Amino acid sequence: MIESLFVLSPTGKVIIEKHWHELIPRRVVDFFNDQVSKAMAEGEDVTREDVLPIIASPKYQLINVYRDGLTYLSPVTKEVDPMMVFEFLHRIPDIMQEYFGQVSETVIKENFVTVYQLLEEMMDDGFPLTTEPNSLKEIVPAPNILNKVITTMGATTSVSTRKMPHGMSNLPWRKAGVKYNSNEIFFDIVEEIDAIVDSTGKAVSCEAHGTIQTNSRLSGMPDLTLSFVNPRLVDDCSFHQSVRFNKWESDKVLSFVPPDGHFRLMSYRVNLPSQQNLPIQVKPSINVGANGAKFDITVSLRNTDGKPVENVVLTLPLHKSTTTLTAQCNVGHSEAAANAGYNIGVEFLINSHSLSGLKVDVLKLFNESYKPYKGVRTMTKAGRYQVRA
Amino acid sequence: MSDAKFFQRGKIQELRLELNSDKKDRNYTRKKQTLKKIVANMTMGNDMSSLHPDVIACMSIPVLEVKKMVYLFLINYAKAKPEMAYEAIQTFRRDVEDPNPLIRALAIRTMGYIHVDKVTSCLIQPLRHCMRDQDPYVRKTAAVCVAKLFMQDRHLVENAGFIDLLREMLVDSNPSVVANAVAALTEISERSDHIQLQLNMSIASKLVTALNECSEWGQTYILESLMFVVPQEPGDAEMLAERIAPRLQHANSAVVLTAVKVIVYLMNYMSREEDIHSMCKKLSPPLVTLLSSGPEVQYVGLRNILLVIQKHPEILKNDIKIFFCKYNDPIYVKMAKLEIMFRLASEHNVEQVLSELKEYATEVDVDFVRKAVRSIGRLAVKIESTAQRCVEALLELIQTKVNYVVQESIVVIKDIFRKYPNQYESIIGVLCENLDNLDEPEAKAAMIWIIGQYADRIENSDELLDDFLYTFLEETVEVQLALLTATVKLFIKRPTAGQDLVPKVLKWATEEVDNPDLRDRGYIYWRLLSTDVAAAKAVVLSEKPHISTETDNMDPVLLEELLLHIASLSAIYHKAPTTFIPHCKPRFLIPSPALRRQNYNAGRTLQHQDSYSSLHNSAQYQQSQSNNMRSQRFDGDDSGNGGLDEFVSSPKQPQHQRLSYHEQSFEQVAEASIGNQEYYEQKINAENPYRTDTAAVGGSQANKGGGVDLMSFDL
Repeated sequence: MIESLFVLSPTGKVIIEKHWHELIPRRVVDFFNDQVSKAMAEGEDVTREDVLPIIASPKYQLINVYRDGLTYLSPVTKEVDPMMVFEFLHRIPDIMQEYFGQVSETVIKENFVTVYQLLEEMMDDGFPLTTEPNSLKEIVPAPNILNKVITTMGATTSVSTRKMPHGMSNLPWRKAGVKYNSNEIFFDIVEEIDAIVDSTGKAVSCEAHGTIQTNSRLSGMPDLTLSFVNPRLVDDCSFHQSVRFNKWESDKVLSFVPPDGHFRLMSYRVNLPSQQNLPIQVKPSINVGANGAKFDITVSLRNTDGKPVENVVLTLPLHKSTTTLTAQCNVGHSEAAANAGYNIGVEFLINSHSLSGLKVDVLKLFNESYKPYKGVRTMTKAGRYQVRA
Repeated sequence: MSDAKFFQRGKIQELRLELNSDKKDRNYTRKKQTLKKIVANMTMGNDMSSLHPDVIACMSIPVLEVKKMVYLFLINYAKAKPEMAYEAIQTFRRDVEDPNPLIRALAIRTMGYIHVDKVTSCLIQPLRHCMRDQDPYVRKTAAVCVAKLFMQDRHLVENAGFIDLLREMLVDSNPSVVANAVAALTEISERSDHIQLQLNMSIASKLVTALNECSEWGQTYILESLMFVVPQEPGDAEMLAERIAPRLQHANSAVVLTAVKVIVYLMNYMSREEDIHSMCKKLSPPLVTLLSSGPEVQYVGLRNILLVIQKHPEILKNDIKIFFCKYNDPIYVKMAKLEIMFRLASEHNVEQVLSELKEYATEVDVDFVRKAVRSIGRLAVKIESTAQRCVEALLELIQTKVNYVVQESIVVIKDIFRKYPNQYESIIGVLCENLDNLDEPEAKAAMIWIIGQYADRIENSDELLDDFLYTFLEETVEVQLALLTATVKLFIKRPTAGQDLVPKVLKWATEEVDNPDLRDRGYIYWRLLSTDVAAAKAVVLSEKPHISTETDNMDPVLLEELLLHIASLSAIYHKAPTTFIPHCKPRFLIPSPALRRQNYNAGRTLQHQDSYSSLHNSAQYQQSQSNNMRSQRFDGDDSGNGGLDEFVSSPKQPQHQRLSYHEQSFEQVAEASIGNQEYYEQKINAENPYRTDTAAVGGSQANKGGGVDLMSFDL
């Protein structure tokens, strides 16, 4: 049960305050801000991200999420499922993103009334209620150009004339009566590689986290079946609620009636067996002397099916005590800024490549007669990928 | 259109005029704009309450958007100005009869938020109707409204028959209604002193069917309610767990973790090892997947994983790599991962673990580095085959001369010496090089222990001790105790070297120090040494009990309790909820023919269960009796009366603190063995609230029929 919500600006000021139960005094925010600054003062390298997401205070447990400079703080007095609170708190910026295109102090202030209306619909008495963007847009109109036109024309935007929100239909995620002139559906398979590689180039741990982001613009009630060439590769997966789990268990296909618009169809995880799978190899050699150190980092490509590797970025954080440094690259450019341990963060991007090897086989459409345009894009990029030196 | 312009602090009078303007207002566009301004001002904290007659007048406008804003206004100010709510009652009455279900639901919802007696009493009748409304949206809103009402007036809800209506809703045709009814019932059961939710298998089965069709949040409510199912027949738990298992694949991590919780709970009621094993296998992948989410979710996941693997070590035993730390993980995630890595370390993976730990020990975050160093030492104690390599790693770390690394290393090396006597003493020389930099009591005490223990092997042990003794009176008790014992050891092992030091220390300990423990120990040594040196030798140099990392394990009683609270704050803090949440109901495994017997080492039995199982097993009964007696020996006034009340509310229970690893080993180090046994028992007794509760729990069962209204649902 979530009792209250405060949204705090980067400076710790209250932007949004909402209480579903008793009024929790703002003093709690001051206490929280104190705790945050105290935690951050503990060490040079402690950042806001290192502050505990659950802080105990004498009366409240302060559950908080920090995202894009804003803090979503929910003080609770009773036992609660923190996982639920975190999931819910993250939904707030997600939904705002969906509504306003971006999330910031200014954006919230510009859309105050809409935000409050959304919060009212998202939660009742501390129970999360409607958090599907599809359903919410039915109840709280998004501030888009069309709405503006309607408002200025004086036409009715009242929801009362519409049918029941589909929140209660058998498919809570899909609204009825969707119509498009051209029916299309796009799948973006994005794989992020999480890896720890030791200084000899051996992968200490390595796995791929994939998501299938879908943009569905299909009329009516399409019933889709998406199958893969090699579904058994997947070690673990989780699905959008539209996916029929039994079908996956028995046939390893994704069978679903999609929501309208953008949604994440599936997330999956593949353990990658050995370093041969890594598309990029980073070999650091570090010589530390009395008056400084020399870092030689060699990057070489391997195993990308001939696809180019783009946007390669190496980050080598140095201790704050570093006074001067020079950096040079054979290819591309380098930026030098002293910012601990020698760890190298690696970023890269490979288009049309799936490191795990997962491939879409075919998409079938039932229940509707049109032939949709289908698009699939694959991309592999570095997630939390680091090399130890 | 941006709302920002509404924040020019519009004068109240202007707003009032705007709201009451006679100008043509087709579709109430102007009214809507004005109300928006008012709401925007209100949310900024500007007091708009004086506008209430004008705002409430807008309630009669049959436009949902307008109504919503008026309701927002009412909810915001009704608490402070109840009289405002009276004026709205008439409109509320009309709205709950509105043909539009959205308006009916909105009216009920808003009334539920207004904690004003008059409004509440107007709510009862319509609420009852709404709970049987033909529209599911209204029904589901009404269900939550009952929970709201319960918070305001428990008796009203119980007496007006709302509980029964909620109970009926459990078999509603709409899954969202079922989910909300379950959520409301669970909430009421958790808060009420005499309503306890209990679900039978047939209702559980219906709930699981609804599970497949409701929203993600609905799924968490239903799953949570399954914690109140007590499987009776063999096979019940297995069937239920099997049907819940698909939820482990949900995208919402709250659904996943609650499913884990229910399955771990149900495993207590499974009889066949292979069923449990196959469930454990299913639990690993989703737990791993939690760790690919954001840091907060990872953190909650990690703290819960730490509990689950202590009970079921086979879970995640092959996934240790997942817990390796990345340098940019938030510090709290790193700390939680480290704890799990240590737990999962075994002969098979110790190589990898050790090389990871060495890596971490060179990072920059002080707390993390300390924990890594400490883990290396614990690893040596836990896994013998790796001890040699751990010691080498620690020696390397000592060479870095980083002060806190050195101190932390010395603390753990002392444990390694205790675990493996006569194996690694060759490194004492290296340790002695670092004496000057020790400034933490724990490290000092550890070093002093080492000097005392090996007084006969360290050539200049008397000089080293003398150096430490220089500041005896300024040291912490921990260090003083260590010094006292070490000096006596030195004297016994090398009388000539110690003869100057001992009288000095004994005199300080008995005359100059206020701490009773120190004084007592001083006197004991003094008398022993003055009466019978042989006896003193036998006592002071006695064989020490073996240490093992067993002491790291959580108290099984607490562990069992926390496992029933997976996915809650207790599982984050690893503290029983009753110790930090007021009015929290304790949970325990309710006995049934299907409940598995638990095996714990003697004297640490799960008391709740004992007192129940005792009905079936007389041997167990006797054991629980003897525990009982022991607890009474130390708590003379614990006669078991008033037990139920204490047990149910028990907020006064002493906070349950586990002896930390080092405290524990240190206490074992305390050589003054006389009186130790008693001291220990007392300590354990004081720290384990269940010991004193034994009688109380026994009583609670007998009383249950009287005080607790079990909400059992039969169809």
